[in-house]
Amino acid sequence: MNPTLPAPSSAVSDRVRPLPPMSSSLMTKRRVSNNVMKGLCGLATILAIIPLFLVLYYVTIQGIKVMNPAFFTEVQRPAGDPGGGFKHAIVGTLMMVGLASCIGLPVGILGGIYLSEFGQNRFGFIVRFATDVLNGIPSIIIGVFVYSIAVLPVSRATREWNDPITFSAWAGGLALGIMMIPTVMRTTEEIVRLVPQSLREGALALGDTRWHSTLKIVLGAAKGGVITGVLLAIARIAGETAPLLFTAADSLYMNLNPSKQTASLPVRIYLSATSPDDHWNALAWGGAFVLVAMILILSLLARYATRARNV
Amino acid sequence: MIFQRLCAAGAALCFAAALAGCGGNTAETNAANDANSASTTNAASSTSSDNSASTTTEGATSLSGAGATFPAPLYTKWFDSYNQAKNIKIDYQSVGSGAGIKQLTAQTVDFGASDAPLNEKEKAALPSPVLTLPTAAGAVVIAYNLPGAPKNLKMTGDAIAKIYMGTIKTWNDPAIAALNPGAKLPTTNITVAHRSDGSGTSYIFTNFLASASNDWKTKVGASKSPTWPTGIGGKGNDGVASAVKQAPGGIGYVELAYAKQNGLSYASVQNKDGQFVEPTVDATTATAEGALASVQKDVTAPIANSSGAKAYPIAGFTYLMVYQTAKNPAKGAALKEFLKWAMTDGQKQAAALDYAPLPKSIVDLNLKSIDTLK
Repeated sequence: MNPTLPAPSSAVSDRVRPLPPMSSSLMTKRRVSNNVMKGLCGLATILAIIPLFLVLYYVTIQGIKVMNPAFFTEVQRPAGDPGGGFKHAIVGTLMMVGLASCIGLPVGILGGIYLSEFGQNRFGFIVRFATDVLNGIPSIIIGVFVYSIAVLPVSRATREWNDPITFSAWAGGLALGIMMIPTVMRTTEEIVRLVPQSLREGALALGDTRWHSTLKIVLGAAKGGVITGVLLAIARIAGETAPLLFTAADSLYMNLNPSKQTASLPVRIYLSATSPDDHWNALAWGGAFVLVAMILILSLLARYATRARNV
Repeated sequence: MIFQRLCAAGAALCFAAALAGCGGNTAETNAANDANSASTTNAASSTSSDNSASTTTEGATSLSGAGATFPAPLYTKWFDSYNQAKNIKIDYQSVGSGAGIKQLTAQTVDFGASDAPLNEKEKAALPSPVLTLPTAAGAVVIAYNLPGAPKNLKMTGDAIAKIYMGTIKTWNDPAIAALNPGAKLPTTNITVAHRSDGSGTSYIFTNFLASASNDWKTKVGASKSPTWPTGIGGKGNDGVASAVKQAPGGIGYVELAYAKQNGLSYASVQNKDGQFVEPTVDATTATAEGALASVQKDVTAPIANSSGAKAYPIAGFTYLMVYQTAKNPAKGAALKEFLKWAMTDGQKQAAALDYAPLPKSIVDLNLKSIDTLK
């Protein structure tokens, strides 16, 4: 109505005063625009969750068809043969997530504590910035990086051996472990920072040492949040294909030796889904179902851990 | 300060624990290696006199390879059967011909697999000479998606070359109509699909086009990744198959097994003798047999568009590449045994998976070259 700025403000001040007829029409207007905006927000929310539910629905419908004991107890048969399962891929993924945790958890959690408790300086700023950058690096780059530092040199060094090590679960675990570090480190830092200062002061006032109070009191109070970060990091890396393509590569055999090529769920899903064999395609859906279920369970555990957080 | 030191100590402990957990396995592997290397010498000496494999398998229990996606289903089948028979595990990464040659060059695998033989540049990059062995032949089909059109439309190499050069633009083009009298051809535009990645399938396809069309030979040529004059790219056989499936009027070249699985119609293609032949395993074997003369001189010679009334013209060999002298004697011996097996028992499994077994004379040729492996 009025392009100048003071006008709306005067309208507002008018509305504050008791002016019944005008106020009611304005109220209707506000109610309508309120409801319209609320409706739009709701619509956006529904649009946001539709893909998630469609994915879950479709993966479940397709995956459940091949869910039988053999899927978990047998390895994949060559294309054209019936039966078989993804045991090797499930075991491989668990093994590599375990190896990754050996690297990612100590570095991530201790690093996070350092940043929060002792990192209020230039060094801490640089580390924080670097972890954010590491978090944003595409996973394929991490795969290529680990290939060039851990696969090629090891392959060259062990070439004369009877069982040379080239692609291995070690390398796959290393790649996934590197990917875990930023997530674990930053969540640990944020959570540890939330622990009230009074707890630290109280512990110190009672004569506790700094290291003991940090590990027992501060980390103890932040336990739930740290566990959440860890579970989310594991959920993130469990579904990664790219870092494994050049590091653990792939295998059709059951393998418990980390020095050998190792299958993983994401890589097996990718290769089976693109194969010309119908049964392999069906198994790929089964693998996708198991992977989504694993990640869903981890996310639920993460929620549970946050809720159980107290002290 | 104390805390920092303790933190460091804690971290060190964590790593030590992790390493110890791993260490156990490494020690075992090393012990196994030592035991193996002790028996290798025996195994190697017995191989020369005795081919009964069971002794050789003591030397190495696993092999690894990487390369072409085209023969991957066949190789997976072979490796599974071989593992059951001889207890040797062979891992194969189907990463594509180009990547397979790269890995062979970097010596991260024991053998490479490719649908195109090594070119001069690739040969120069190798640390030592390799032996190239054809293992099976496969057909590349011209798949199309044209609602209402008959199955097995007839096509000539010239017409396909023109479609892929963009000079034939619609399905009712006189060139196609003349080949298929009586067929109802719509005015739909042709959507050309090709491989976006470096691929042996492209190599086989362009080899055929180059031999069937002079225009193609001079303007585009035969290559794993030619510069396509027109069309959309898809990654892998499945990428092209789905591109064809999604676009009415689409045409693309895919391996026979992928076309069958995707339920695509595919063309009968005119061969050198003027016959229109449907792609089948038998027709592919006929192609390999038609090219025997040149293949016997050089096993890497292309077989596309060979002579023979029953030959399907768009076909090629798929190859395994192994180092003439193995870096690791135990693995070399095991690989040699496997290759012999692939040439004999392995060939019998090919047809069931839509691959054509090698003609007898090429098998004999291969067996002779396998004997020269060290």
